Amino acid sequence: MAEATFIPQHKLSDSRYSRTIEIADWIITATNRPIINAAETDTLQSNLGFPLPEMTFGNNSLCLKHKPSNWEYTFKTLEALRAVKNGELVDGDGGVKVGYADAWLKSRTDPDSVLPLPETTPTKHYDWTYTSAYPGHCNIQDAFLPAESSNANHTIPLSELTRQDPILFYAEIPLYEDELHDNGSSHFLIRIRVMPGCIFILSRFTLRVDNVLFRAFDTRIYHSLTNSPGIVVRERSGWEAPYEQIKRLLPKKDDLNPLTDHNFIAKSLSLLPSELSQKSGAGTNWRSLGTRLDVAHLDTNSLQSGIENLKL
Amino acid sequence: MPSDLDLQIEQLIRCEPISEEQVKRLCLKAREILIEEGNVQVVDSPVTICGDIHGQFWDLMELFKVGGPCPSTSYLFMGDFVDRGFYSVETFLLLLAYKVRYPERITLIRGNHESRQITQVYGFYDECQRKYGSANVWRYCCEVFDYLALGAIVDGTVFCVHGGLSPNLTGIDQIRAIDRKQEVPHDGPMCDLLWSDPDDIQGWGLSPRGAGFLFGGDITKAFVHNNALSLIARAHQLAMEGYKLMFERTIVTVWSAPNYCYRCGNVASILELDENLAQEYKVFQHAPADVRSIPAKRPPAEYFL
Repeated sequence: MAEATFIPQHKLSDSRYSRTIEIADWIITATNRPIINAAETDTLQSNLGFPLPEMTFGNNSLCLKHKPSNWEYTFKTLEALRAVKNGELVDGDGGVKVGYADAWLKSRTDPDSVLPLPETTPTKHYDWTYTSAYPGHCNIQDAFLPAESSNANHTIPLSELTRQDPILFYAEIPLYEDELHDNGSSHFLIRIRVMPGCIFILSRFTLRVDNVLFRAFDTRIYHSLTNSPGIVVRERSGWEAPYEQIKRLLPKKDDLNPLTDHNFIAKSLSLLPSELSQKSGAGTNWRSLGTRLDVAHLDTNSLQSGIENLKL
Repeated sequence: MPSDLDLQIEQLIRCEPISEEQVKRLCLKAREILIEEGNVQVVDSPVTICGDIHGQFWDLMELFKVGGPCPSTSYLFMGDFVDRGFYSVETFLLLLAYKVRYPERITLIRGNHESRQITQVYGFYDECQRKYGSANVWRYCCEVFDYLALGAIVDGTVFCVHGGLSPNLTGIDQIRAIDRKQEVPHDGPMCDLLWSDPDDIQGWGLSPRGAGFLFGGDITKAFVHNNALSLIARAHQLAMEGYKLMFERTIVTVWSAPNYCYRCGNVASILELDENLAQEYKVFQHAPADVRSIPAKRPPAEYFL
């Protein structure tokens, strides 16, 4: 039996499309609405300059506000899509084609092809996989500095997070999703849980291109509600592996279903040697491979006043 | 006294799967009927045209509430019956049972998900395994998929297809010449009919994915003109409002899976063509949330790391 946990005062509020928790110095709001309608799609599409994912939850967001310092961290669909490459893909963008692209083109361009390629107009160049290394954004520029490896607080404490403390607030916020025309799946999902002692967020982009590769980009945000001075730890990790590498990890060879499970993909990527999954990847030269840890300091003075407020 | 088939329909309407032996016989019967149909099945108005269903059985029941029961209403489904939803088995078998029972009152054409390859990834294969303990039912259904028509034409002037046009097919007669009894190929005109999309471009475009075509307004209008059509109806793409008209109303996307994947919050529609081919789009919502085993709106809290 776990020891009784002290539950700090907090306030939950709920409306049709959003949920809010106020806890310690924080106001956290998760907004979950349906995918956007045709008019909103047209506006967003002309704003971004490329066709939107099939399921664009364009009004969804997660917003964390630290009241004493006015420090804010937000995840928004529009910003996540802004991080998708618009234009011709160059080295570092990690561009890929569907598995049968070469065969398809060959069948159309062979001199004796019975299906000659018609004259085609150039179509819009953009990253059709909607790969996005968007880690959320802060209202203060350059708020995050590289973590100090000697500072024990500059890490995400797994032991605390694996403890089954009560979850006071939980939300899953999809930003977008696309089945890549049945060539795989591109998926951007934010999850948050607020516990008596901490706030923890996992923002995860997952990509599967059938018979080509798997790719993931995770952003983890951790804030201890008990440690002082207040800091926000952020870890960003990019992973990639050839399709066959992950397929080999299937529990049952014939059952491909786990390959559509984002948790299975993430776990499998982390089980591979990091030389592969975080360095060579699937050979696309995607620039976001690897892991970076950084830290933002919340304004201590105002934090102090926050604590005093609590005492009152 | 109701026939065996009537009893099976009654059972399927309650979303209860029929036995493996019954599926086997139903699929054999269905193939005998479908093999007689042309690649472009000829259909008379009035008819109600439906887009993707994707195994959302209870939403299909909503569709029948809005459109009227089969066979009182004549239906034309433009493919993608299976995958993604929780009830692909019941959905496809019910439509197939209707087809066998009332062959003149329901037309089923093939979508890109009616394929061995796609169903192994997107859920139908899995669902068959789970509900029958083997892949036999999946195999019987896939054999039926190969016999489904590639398109349909209503009163000679409304062309219905799952995806869209192909640069290798300028006339509907050319579609009739395809040997359709095969797995959906990765290229060629049959693939294009099931996969291509209209787009705001001129002429033909290559998909940025590296395979597949996009077709513009000029291509659409030329096809409509050359084949003396009044409309092309297709499915294949999610439309938040249930349908989307493009290119001066020469083409429409009809989408019939409300709250797609149980989380998109979109409405769906069906297109009713009356005996003068006047179009009426009937929009409908997803089935109420209390219907069995659809995931709760709010996900359970998880100790993710």
